[in-house]
Amino acid sequence: MEEWRYKSAGDFGLPMHRRLQSVRRESGLISSLTSQAWWLGTSAYLRTYHRLAVRGRDHLPAKPPFIMIANHSSHLDILQLAATLPMGLRDCAYPIAAGDTFFETRSRRLFSWMMLGALPMWRKKSVRHAIEDLRIRLLEEPVVYLLFPEGTRTRTGKIGRFKPGLGMLVAGTDIPVVPCRLWGGFESMPPGAKIPRPRKMKVTIGPPRCYESIANDRAGWNAIASELEHVLIGMET
Amino acid sequence: MIETFWLKLFSPATAFNHPVTLWLTVTTGAVLLLTPLVVEMLRWAGRIDAGLRKELHRRLFSWLFLVPAIVIPVLLGPGCTILAIAILSLLCYREFARATGFFRNRALSATVVAAMLALTLAEYDHWYNFFVALPSLAIASIAIMALVRDEPLGYLQRTALGVLSFLLFGVCFGHLAYMANDRDYRPIMFIIIFCVEMNDVFAYITGKSFGSRKLAPNTSPGKTLGGALGGLVLTTILFALLGHWVFQGGPLDSWIHLIAMGIIISLGGMFGDLVVSSIKRDLGIKDIGTLLPGHGGLLDRFDSLMLVSPAIFHYVGYFQGWGLDQPVRILTG
Repeated sequence: MEEWRYKSAGDFGLPMHRRLQSVRRESGLISSLTSQAWWLGTSAYLRTYHRLAVRGRDHLPAKPPFIMIANHSSHLDILQLAATLPMGLRDCAYPIAAGDTFFETRSRRLFSWMMLGALPMWRKKSVRHAIEDLRIRLLEEPVVYLLFPEGTRTRTGKIGRFKPGLGMLVAGTDIPVVPCRLWGGFESMPPGAKIPRPRKMKVTIGPPRCYESIANDRAGWNAIASELEHVLIGMET
Repeated sequence: MIETFWLKLFSPATAFNHPVTLWLTVTTGAVLLLTPLVVEMLRWAGRIDAGLRKELHRRLFSWLFLVPAIVIPVLLGPGCTILAIAILSLLCYREFARATGFFRNRALSATVVAAMLALTLAEYDHWYNFFVALPSLAIASIAIMALVRDEPLGYLQRTALGVLSFLLFGVCFGHLAYMANDRDYRPIMFIIIFCVEMNDVFAYITGKSFGSRKLAPNTSPGKTLGGALGGLVLTTILFALLGHWVFQGGPLDSWIHLIAMGIIISLGGMFGDLVVSSIKRDLGIKDIGTLLPGHGGLLDRFDSLMLVSPAIFHYVGYFQGWGLDQPVRILTG
């Protein structure tokens, strides 16, 4: 017979403003409902307005935890990436968003929390600490992280350099990383555009990769980042 | 139907029909305004240090929100009272679910919330049969919804947590809400809440003065037998005096009934407190929430009301009845 085990919410005991900044935040019934509705609405929008097509869905692991990474060229990217997930996985999917953009003002915080269900990544302060927290959570809980290793949207349409932070999350673990190449985002809504144009969008999902044998140090992180960068550049429609 | 809904929601014209309502509102308001002055005077006289003063101010600040949050809905009308208690139930459930991790069972959590909303409907509707049918229906639904994942491991834990949270936070607080169907719900509710809160204060003061033997050192190290007895005596006297005024001329206006209800309130309040203390000890946490600075969560504050509500409801219901002259099933009938 198993003993009863209780595990409080990861952000239990934190006051509201600290909860929003915590990467251990877990959604409740209401924020889960609102973000599910948000993903349903946005994926319907992408399928009709942008005629979104997804290839390689069978590469997605059946069970969390895993990480999905993609190239970043537009605000539509995160919608495109989340739309590839089956309904059952959307509830445990957490986009990793820049804290200084998505958690800056009160209204943006509310949107990032209730709709995107995003976890904040503060680019300037205590990056190492935040990534360590994200890594622990990934090892303990069935979560899916959606992240853009370039760290920012491309201004030219070409894939930029991958940041080593991605490597810090997975080096030495058996967590699969699923590379996804997004097409059509830059043409539909490049940085600076206000209204998306109805361009066709495509997603190609590649086979997942593991980095169990890579050492968890600076050389290992760089190796992972540059390998995944090349994988993504080499992916075709 | 919409018209009856609004009529039930607001009836501030009758707010002060009973003198007890008026007096308790005025007294509580005055105490709330005077206490900061007393704290400042004590500090000025050098009787309390800066740390205690800060802690007292934090608690007072919370009361400054809590008292209007309790008093205003009750004064506004029975519908407002029922909705306010529904919110209290849901927030207490949320604190419990996040502390135990029960909230991760989305389907079960939604079932508990749906059952609580159904309780609110039964209370608003003044539909007693549905109100008493809901516990069994909810338990059946929770037991069924816990099957859905086809995962026997942990079945007992998630079913038990769901049932317990629904019964404690839905049904127990629901009895307080159901009282709003009585013509004279305002004074009755006010004296119950007032005496339950004063019971804590009495127990604290007498415990400080006479308490040496611990009541339940493993559950709640601060509680003493002296405090419990002091609370019992003083709360019973307070309730008997106020109750005599409220139940005047009715079947409950005898000293035996008034003393019995006073004892129920004091013991129920103490046990409710111990129940939540036990839950927190078992989980290994100090406070169950962060909503009220100085108090912890809502559940830390309203725990004493949890068990008192059904006990008093059924005591009064047996000897006098609730809302017998009021229309029933106003929405569904």
